[in-house]
Amino acid sequence: MTSLLIRRVLLMVPTLWVIATLTFFMIHAAPGGPFQSEREIPEAAKQQLNAKYGLDRPLGEQYVSFLIHAVRFDFGPSYKFPARQVREIILEALPVSAELAGWALLLALVFGVPFGVLAAVKQNQRLDYAAMGAALAGVSVPNFVLGPALVLGLSLTLFLFPPALWQGPMSRVLPVATLATAYVAYIARLTRAGMLEVLRQDYIRTARAKGLSERAVVFKHALKLGILPVVSYLGPAAARVVMGSIVIETIFSVPGLGRYLVNAAFNRDYTLVMGEVLFYATMLMVLNLIIDVAYTRLDPRVEAA
Amino acid sequence: MRSAGCRGLLYCLRVMRTSLVFFFAALAFGGCAPAHQASLEPASARARYFGDTTPPAENVLTFNLGAEPEMFDPSVAVGQPDGRVCRILFEGLTREDPRTLEPLPGQAYRWDITPDGLTYTFHLRPHLTWSDGRPITADDFRWSWLRVLRPETASRYAGLIFPIVNAEAFNKGTIHDERLVGIEATDDSTLTVRLAAPTAYFLYLTQFYTCLPVPRWAIEKHGNRWTRPENIVCNGPFRLAWWRQNDHFEFVRNPRYWDAAHVKLDRIMAYPVEDLNTSTNLYKAGVFDWNPSGYIPSQFIPYLRDYADFRHGNYQGIYFYSINVTRKPLDNPWVRRALNYAVDREAIANDLLKRSRDPWGNFTPSGYPGYTHPPAITFDPAKARECLARAGYPGGKGFPKISILFNTSEDHRRIAEAIQAMWKRELSIDVELSNQEWGSYLQATSALQYDVARRSWIGDYLDPNTFLACYVTGDGNNRTGWSNPRYDALIRSAAVELDAEKRLAILRDAEALLLEEGPVIPIYHYSTNELVKPYVRGIYQTPLDIHPLTYVWIDRQWQHRASEPPVATAIPARARREHGR
Repeated sequence: MTSLLIRRVLLMVPTLWVIATLTFFMIHAAPGGPFQSEREIPEAAKQQLNAKYGLDRPLGEQYVSFLIHAVRFDFGPSYKFPARQVREIILEALPVSAELAGWALLLALVFGVPFGVLAAVKQNQRLDYAAMGAALAGVSVPNFVLGPALVLGLSLTLFLFPPALWQGPMSRVLPVATLATAYVAYIARLTRAGMLEVLRQDYIRTARAKGLSERAVVFKHALKLGILPVVSYLGPAAARVVMGSIVIETIFSVPGLGRYLVNAAFNRDYTLVMGEVLFYATMLMVLNLIIDVAYTRLDPRVEAA
Repeated sequence: MRSAGCRGLLYCLRVMRTSLVFFFAALAFGGCAPAHQASLEPASARARYFGDTTPPAENVLTFNLGAEPEMFDPSVAVGQPDGRVCRILFEGLTREDPRTLEPLPGQAYRWDITPDGLTYTFHLRPHLTWSDGRPITADDFRWSWLRVLRPETASRYAGLIFPIVNAEAFNKGTIHDERLVGIEATDDSTLTVRLAAPTAYFLYLTQFYTCLPVPRWAIEKHGNRWTRPENIVCNGPFRLAWWRQNDHFEFVRNPRYWDAAHVKLDRIMAYPVEDLNTSTNLYKAGVFDWNPSGYIPSQFIPYLRDYADFRHGNYQGIYFYSINVTRKPLDNPWVRRALNYAVDREAIANDLLKRSRDPWGNFTPSGYPGYTHPPAITFDPAKARECLARAGYPGGKGFPKISILFNTSEDHRRIAEAIQAMWKRELSIDVELSNQEWGSYLQATSALQYDVARRSWIGDYLDPNTFLACYVTGDGNNRTGWSNPRYDALIRSAAVELDAEKRLAILRDAEALLLEEGPVIPIYHYSTNELVKPYVRGIYQTPLDIHPLTYVWIDRQWQHRASEPPVATAIPARARREHGR
């Protein structure tokens, strides 16, 4: 177990280095730079800006200096928001994204797992069709359609929730619901599939033969294995929910991490792009590691190899 | 000062969403009951308003700032959101009249101009203080302007104050002695500025955000973190109470502002909401009191025209096509003329854009006091064909394929497709379309790697020079490769002409020459389209889309008042009397 952890953590270092290097050279190779606009900046001012931010140095030198600082999670100031450090921007936006993601994942588990179990137990019955039909709809409707539809119905017509912004508990409802829907649906489908496979297995038949109640069979014996696909899905899902809610953050004007990512690339905000990409990569790897550890605990068949 | 190009965050997403929201919105508008109509006076009785019209309980203005400001340190600020924040927090020697944007006395209560137009002497109001209680002196202004010019500040707008003696040399580092720059604090309350050439619009510059005063000691102590809420010191009508990036700004009234007695708002809340639909939703729900121009989806505009809180007006900006004259066959002025005459501007503005913009055949926008435009380019297919024949391509025969470059956006694509069809129909020439994302597009236009490119230009100050000066030889904003010695001479002679009427006549000749030579194809005139709740008083439609918020107030009796209250309430009589000399 410990050796697994050590090996995985050590593997992260070269992976991050490759990601950092690729991203660094790709973003610098993109046409233009951080200090361009529709209104021409005078040549003198451009040189002054490049000198101020060290962009006049050779690219290799910039790369080395970037690596040295990146190790300490220091990316320097954002080019687009020069009064702010990239680290500061990420650490300020992270709690917002984490809160949004946390609620959405919680909602997804609280609704998704029971629906999936129910559908599996009542396989090919009306309840199963209803739950899976709803799940199919939930997976299929993109959040940029669902979000505005919810805003129109619940906010602009019924005046139940504010249409956007991140202020007070009521403002959380619509973005969380929009973000969670697809995950509720996906988790319900994963749970159902996992449960169906497990329910057909011999040890479940044995449990039933022992005379255990159906409730005990399902929740005590089947669920423990049936939920494994969901667990493995949670790692990437958590990372994606934290960083990838760009659409939700835009529609609802939430001050989270996602909004920076796309704009930073468009603006050629080199430092912010590097900071976000490396942060995201690290988070993804850490979450996957946690999930793998959890997996070995849940499923005795998986060896801690 | 905002670049007019659509930045296109998730633009394809927006297109898809817009059509959906548009569909729902059409339903919602149909069922939208006019709010608060019982027992009203005639003025507002029949009016329909878009959404909630309940005034806020407190004297607070909430509005959409548009995007997160890049930096609101006035000396280095660049974009429109930056400027909005700077104007709330700081005040210059002069300040904008909220209706006309003409210079009013600000921190200076009067000024003298020598007859040759070269020396300005500003007299500061007595007892001015910064928000931390320190006195404001003429030296604060001198230091702030020198800071703009220092090379290490790397201010992108330093060029604005190059009319000052030796400012350019100091900025470029050819002279290092700041005493040689024509800015001098003769005593604590007098600032003397010497110009290298008379600059008709100089008083507009003294209210522009680049020239706002900044607190020396706070900057020396905190470096570039001086604009953090806990460090910032300002001299404007409001100060910064709270800020979180991408979340919101909260401004509170500055009791140390010289005219604080007439500032009626207690607080201003400004949210950076980039999404147009979200912004309009927040306005409809009554969260925003003001949805500034540029933040309404263009498809909504025909529907919004019927609402009394919708305002449409001229904006000092032009949407045009730029022609790369270094490439064949576009180096031939007859080809450029042919392309120009074959564009049906009316069809684009009225049919394609549903009258949300005005067709425009001149290169300078409307609304400059005293300026008359040269004849505009009109849609004239016969003349276009004639020009093309003179260029050696009768009936479009032998004309090589050219391409139109635009930055990725649905609106730009629709216009490019329309123009492609017009050129095909009228001139029988083939044009292909090419789109690039923002950064690549900017790079291509700067480096002259295009045939015809979409561009737009927004004026900095109320004078045609802000448009025409871009086309002198080698100017960084020219981006066409076009160079004409006669044009350069006209712009140069206008710059030193003291007689206002003669100066504008010279600029008119320059514009006529530019249109005749055709490195640009003007298409439409920008408009402001904004939503302002009827209870918000003091926000006016202005051609630069600049809105001083100093004297804005919340009118809880709005239903019982015809429209705006008398001017004297909006601008203190004292300020009017003292206006200039």
